[in-house]
Amino acid sequence: MGKVLIFGFFSFLAIASGLGIILLRNPIYVVVALLSSLIAVAGIFFVAGAELVGALQLLIYAVAIAVFYIIAISAVPWEKAKKSESHYRFEGLVSLPIVLFLYAEMILVFMLGVKASPEGKFRAFIEKLGNTEVIGAILFSKYFLAFEMVSLVLLIGMIGAVLIGRKESQTYEDDST
Amino acid sequence: MKTIPLEAFLVVSMILFGLGVIGIAARRNLVTILMSLELALNAVNIALVGADYYLGSVHGQIFALFIIALAATEAAVGLGIIIAIFRLKRVESSDEIRELRG
Repeated sequence: MGKVLIFGFFSFLAIASGLGIILLRNPIYVVVALLSSLIAVAGIFFVAGAELVGALQLLIYAVAIAVFYIIAISAVPWEKAKKSESHYRFEGLVSLPIVLFLYAEMILVFMLGVKASPEGKFRAFIEKLGNTEVIGAILFSKYFLAFEMVSLVLLIGMIGAVLIGRKESQTYEDDST
Repeated sequence: MKTIPLEAFLVVSMILFGLGVIGIAARRNLVTILMSLELALNAVNIALVGADYYLGSVHGQIFALFIIALAATEAAVGLGIIIAIFRLKRVESSDEIRELRG
């Protein structure tokens, strides 16, 4: 019962912060709403017993990525940009049928009752060894190639971000003004 | 042992994913579009971890770890592209970008 209450609290916090992400106007407020939503999602992970994913969510998402967004907002002189009159576009209403279709599909699946029976193949191991050890054992045996691929993707992403985001020669600056 | 039903995780995940999709389509500021994308990726993680909690397995959590790593890459490259667009064109809103040539 306590678990359900904590899950309800964190999911309410996550959905309220998600509403803040799409409704607030100031980008700094949006970053704060995103941070609150990420921490609430980490709480949901902890309730679900996924300690490693929750801790990495706190470390990578809530610290690294949120700080990265704050740096990108505060270090770039956005006030020199051309301002548009509105923060939202009404063409975005086109996305509403897609979202409603997703919700209708979810309701349909619940009504039809498609379900998988829980096998619980690793449940005894998880209770004996702990979540992190079981994840490590499977990650470094069955998914080892994917793990190495992710390291390669991270390297390429880092090189690409440095190359794209570095300061170019003066020609672009002069063209734009 | 199981006290939270799987449907609760899926409902929260679907609501957050819908909010992310609405944010991607309806906002004008490029940085807030990327932040809505992060929200949508997080919603998928909730579904994976909830399915793991129901099934008693750990494969979904491994995929959640991969999604977190790729989201970090996506944030770095995306913000680099946005800053490069700002340097080139001095715009911060997505509907000012109409031309394909630099």
